[in-house]
Amino acid sequence: MSRRRVGVALLALAWSVSLAVLGPLQAQDLTRGKAVYDRWCAGCHGETGAGDGEAMTYMLPRPRDFRRAVYQVRTTATGGLPTDADLMRVVDEGMPGTTMPGWRTRLSEAERRDVVAHIKSFSRFFEGENPTPLAFGKAPRLTAEGLVEGERWYRELECFKCHGDAGRGDGPSAPTLTDDWNQPIRAADLTRGWNFNGGASVEQIYRRLRTGLDGTPMPSFSDAVEGEILTEEQLWRVAQWVHSLSPERPPVREVIRAPRLDGALPSGPEDSAWAAIPPAWVPLVGQIVIKPRWFAPRVDGLWVRAAHDGQTLAVLVAWSDPSRSPDATWQEWIDGVAGAMTDADGPVPTTQGPDRLHVQVPLRPPEGLERPYFLGGDPRRPTYQWQWTSAPDAVREGRGTGLGAFTASATTTVQHAAVFADGEWRVQFARALAPADTAAAPAFPVGEAVPMAFYAADGSDGEDERRGAVSAWYAIYLDVPTPPRVYVAPVLAVLVTAGLGGLVVVRAQRRARST
Amino acid sequence: MSRVRDALRHPFWQAVLLLVAAWLVFRFGIQYVPPLFGVRSAPVPQSVMLQYMLTALVGVLLYVSDNEARWRRFKEPITATLVDPGKRRLRVALLVLVPALVGFMTYRQARPSVSAPIQLRSIHPAPPGEITFRGQSMRLTGLENPLRSGGALEEHVREGRRVYYQNCLPCHGDRLDGEGHFGHGFSPTPLSFTDPGTIAQLTESFVFWRIAKGGPGLPREGAPWNSAMPAWEDFLTADEVWAVVVFLYEQSGWQPRRWEAGGEGEGGHE
Repeated sequence: MSRRRVGVALLALAWSVSLAVLGPLQAQDLTRGKAVYDRWCAGCHGETGAGDGEAMTYMLPRPRDFRRAVYQVRTTATGGLPTDADLMRVVDEGMPGTTMPGWRTRLSEAERRDVVAHIKSFSRFFEGENPTPLAFGKAPRLTAEGLVEGERWYRELECFKCHGDAGRGDGPSAPTLTDDWNQPIRAADLTRGWNFNGGASVEQIYRRLRTGLDGTPMPSFSDAVEGEILTEEQLWRVAQWVHSLSPERPPVREVIRAPRLDGALPSGPEDSAWAAIPPAWVPLVGQIVIKPRWFAPRVDGLWVRAAHDGQTLAVLVAWSDPSRSPDATWQEWIDGVAGAMTDADGPVPTTQGPDRLHVQVPLRPPEGLERPYFLGGDPRRPTYQWQWTSAPDAVREGRGTGLGAFTASATTTVQHAAVFADGEWRVQFARALAPADTAAAPAFPVGEAVPMAFYAADGSDGEDERRGAVSAWYAIYLDVPTPPRVYVAPVLAVLVTAGLGGLVVVRAQRRARST
Repeated sequence: MSRVRDALRHPFWQAVLLLVAAWLVFRFGIQYVPPLFGVRSAPVPQSVMLQYMLTALVGVLLYVSDNEARWRRFKEPITATLVDPGKRRLRVALLVLVPALVGFMTYRQARPSVSAPIQLRSIHPAPPGEITFRGQSMRLTGLENPLRSGGALEEHVREGRRVYYQNCLPCHGDRLDGEGHFGHGFSPTPLSFTDPGTIAQLTESFVFWRIAKGGPGLPREGAPWNSAMPAWEDFLTADEVWAVVVFLYEQSGWQPRRWEAGGEGEGGHE
């Protein structure tokens, strides 16, 4: 008993000492923290921490409102406050998939600590609280059976209801999702791990499963573990399964390689022959260059594959899109997006259009380094485009002189086939390398990099011919058969070098003998 | 130990050692020098490496052939390798390995490699003396930011912050480093204002011109077809542009370049 009393007394002493010492320090931190916050954070999060900074309606999801102390990425139980380390981690590394950047390169560690103290001061919930992290244990060894079990639990726990059968964020509930602030929120596309708000490692995914993403519809499954609906190991299997759905962040290469196939070209978007051709990742970002700008694009990138057989070029473009637009079940969603986003460049459409994909190359071979304007071309240097829409499922071929400035040709020489499945569009184009009409369309030369750029829009997301996602100029390269010199030149080089070497040795030896 | 010391005194091994040291410095060392002065850096490219190494080789050869005795000693191990009956194995090995290496390098050269068309652009193109902004003619030469001589600077910074966060942030980023959430999608990537080579080198009128006219208003050498910078005169008033210019300098901590007293200074370009 007495020992416990001593312990309590010591604790009380430590408490008062720490208050006395830390009190003024804390105050100082807050002053500096406020200065850092006002300068670097308030533009989005607002001076009062209400998440209502100047940029609020220029991003989706909107900036966090700190007043409620509700945080997505934590190590604590759902409904709980984050630890300082949790907040610090987000400040340091940012939130992938959102507009929140990491601040390590800009703010010193002291500044980041101070700003965390200031952020906490926006809510009284933090007063006197010391949140404790959950114990997470370790991941079981990854096995094939484990993945099967993970997939089983993915269905059992009804993850697919929001995230979809293949994980592309296209579940039946996806169009209806809102966050605690009643703003539309997208179900994560699990095939895009690099956009996971809390990170893409198995450990990080498991933590999100255990803690939930508070403020969003993503629940915590700790209850399910405690209620013995499934074991911790089984939940780890779900994390491993989710992790397996996404490749590493794909490297961006400037050139899309189109290998030359000896046999037939793939017959359609679902032909298994495409699997043998490595895809190129083309990142897309919001069209924010001309009016009307679009700050919340749905499509964040395209997987592009290409092949040719010396006669015809085939291009397969695949991308995640949760809806086959227009789709009545997404009406609620498009209304929500229109309400959430700025109307600085005019009202966001609330009638759904089709999904779109535009592929463009220069209409005429670039003179020197000059190309058409990357946004659809310009009157002086037009582009040649394939403009695909989902409804009607058709491709128009023609001449572009800018975004939204397009004249379709009377005849279409490009063939296409489009397939929508599990939240993914796969659209294949095919056209003869030599154009039918050289004035209306360019040739696709082999052995030469041809500039190519893309545009994509989700008609159920308020997107159209200008509000959408664009790429910079990339290039497509149609492989040539390997010329014989590639094999002849090295053999010649070996022979010449060996001969010269032998000559040097023989001469040196002859000279040595003669002296 | 003494063998090592002997070898270190031998001009042949000195030459070898010098060349290895030079290679290490070029390959791994040089890239760490610019950051000491706050400048971004990159590894030395392959073609330049070759030039550097040739220069080093010439220097080393000059050194070993500088006096007769050293030159003779330098040649000794080479002649020995070519002639000595005891070094037959080494000789044969070299006669096989060197041609094989040359063959391999030739193959790497001849192998078809694919590269995107080169993209060049001038960093700070020469500004025009005069522009029209929304139909109004403006003389850029000698032009100072009118907001600096009227109203409270604090208000202008506040207004500039609003303009920046609603328009510039997606590309140029919260940190002003050109790494906004859309920055990676464009090529060339958006300018970093924290880089000492950008706004720190420019007058405010130059920055005004670049904002007002954007990519489409670049001269041809600026590769206007690639730049994603919008022509902001379509979106912003002159006061809004001047305010965001004030904000850029406040937030980055740089000072704008000033016009020379005569008014006809160098302008913004380098």
